[in-house]
Amino acid sequence: MKTAYSTEASPQKAVEEIQNGLSGPDPRMVLFFASAAYDQDTLAAEMRKGFEKSEIIGCTSAGEIVSGKMLKNSVVAMSFDPDDIADLSVAVIEDVHRIESVDSAMKSLEDHFKKPLREMNPKEYIGFILIDGLSVAEEKVMDRIGDLTEVYFIGGSAGDDLKFQKTHVFVGDKALSGAAVLAIIKPSIRFDLIKTQSFCTIKNKFLTATKVDEARREVIEFDGKPAAQAYADALGMSVEDAENQFMHNPVGVMVIDEPYVRSPQQIKDGRMVFYCNVKEGMKLALLSSTDIVDGTRKAVQEKEKEMGKIRGIVNFHCILRTLELEDKGTTQPYADIFANIPTVGFSTYGEQFIGHINQTSTMVVFGDAESE
Amino acid sequence: MAGKVKKMMDVIIAQRSKGNKAIARAVETKLILKGIDPQNYTSTSPDDPAVIRTLEDMARQLGVNV
Repeated sequence: MKTAYSTEASPQKAVEEIQNGLSGPDPRMVLFFASAAYDQDTLAAEMRKGFEKSEIIGCTSAGEIVSGKMLKNSVVAMSFDPDDIADLSVAVIEDVHRIESVDSAMKSLEDHFKKPLREMNPKEYIGFILIDGLSVAEEKVMDRIGDLTEVYFIGGSAGDDLKFQKTHVFVGDKALSGAAVLAIIKPSIRFDLIKTQSFCTIKNKFLTATKVDEARREVIEFDGKPAAQAYADALGMSVEDAENQFMHNPVGVMVIDEPYVRSPQQIKDGRMVFYCNVKEGMKLALLSSTDIVDGTRKAVQEKEKEMGKIRGIVNFHCILRTLELEDKGTTQPYADIFANIPTVGFSTYGEQFIGHINQTSTMVVFGDAESE
Repeated sequence: MAGKVKKMMDVIIAQRSKGNKAIARAVETKLILKGIDPQNYTSTSPDDPAVIRTLEDMARQLGVNV
């Protein structure tokens, strides 16, 4: 497992640099994340030419992560050696708004492994999902995937450097919009997952969504009151002041003691628009931010204790976490957590872990072979 | 009548997890993200027809017979 990066502006030169960085036997798979500044069709074609014998998947980003660095306007890549992967299949959801398209992609994965998806053991297989980050379709896609399999699909919503115009996912020599790339991997090395969100609950502060517009990701009312007012009341401040607290005080669906974060985006006519949908009747805990660097370091260290040596990490890191790190001047301390671990990742427009979530890092962690 | 909601959720979780605790937790999470929290229902919870209909839909999507 190797990583490489390039800040070259030309797609040709960038891929050449990536190729040099990943030199060695032909990788089984190359996973890459790229700034939206590149011509995406050219970049996809160059990656195909550069890694002719490998499966290639990737997406555009809102900032890139590679071992010890958080970059902008770059390409980062990780190669998986044939020895790392016992089996692998890649499929495309051509239209993320059509359930039939999700089913068709999942069927193609099932056909490859010749095993019903529901019977695939999540301890043996891991799924990646990279999805158009402006599609507002992530919840439905993840919900359907979760219906069809117990294999964890971990991933991120593609970004476009905060322009919010168009995002792409990559597969082979194609750059696609309105689509998602799925991969199921059967690693021949150990793997595990990290989900870390650096928030704690505020004691006895809950909001129940009593009226929502799910399709627009809007909460109209919490506890029978206009959503923005109820949120502000829970924080003990005015609606105007509450609007500045979104990053530090999102809400979370609690699963036992773990939040699945929903981040507010804006207040519109007393309603609250979120980056992730909230179902009617959902009880949400009000959250308060804790230290991202400290929380992430602990999560990675704990995983290292459990797994032994970590050989690689793929990090799907929410753009709101990236912005908070920038705001606090702690971008480099965060990057340093991954300085000695081959890591790639990107700043996402949303993260996937069982469902679609916000302000979280979802990571796939690879270790040594089971027998070692 | 009471307890049907909990019973249906128990069946969904049991059938999907086949006794695997980690999978059971993941299935529980899926139900919560779909909008129904198993923790909110006990064997004495009333048989709310709307919740039962929703759960029947969820079970169908999950390929479970309730």
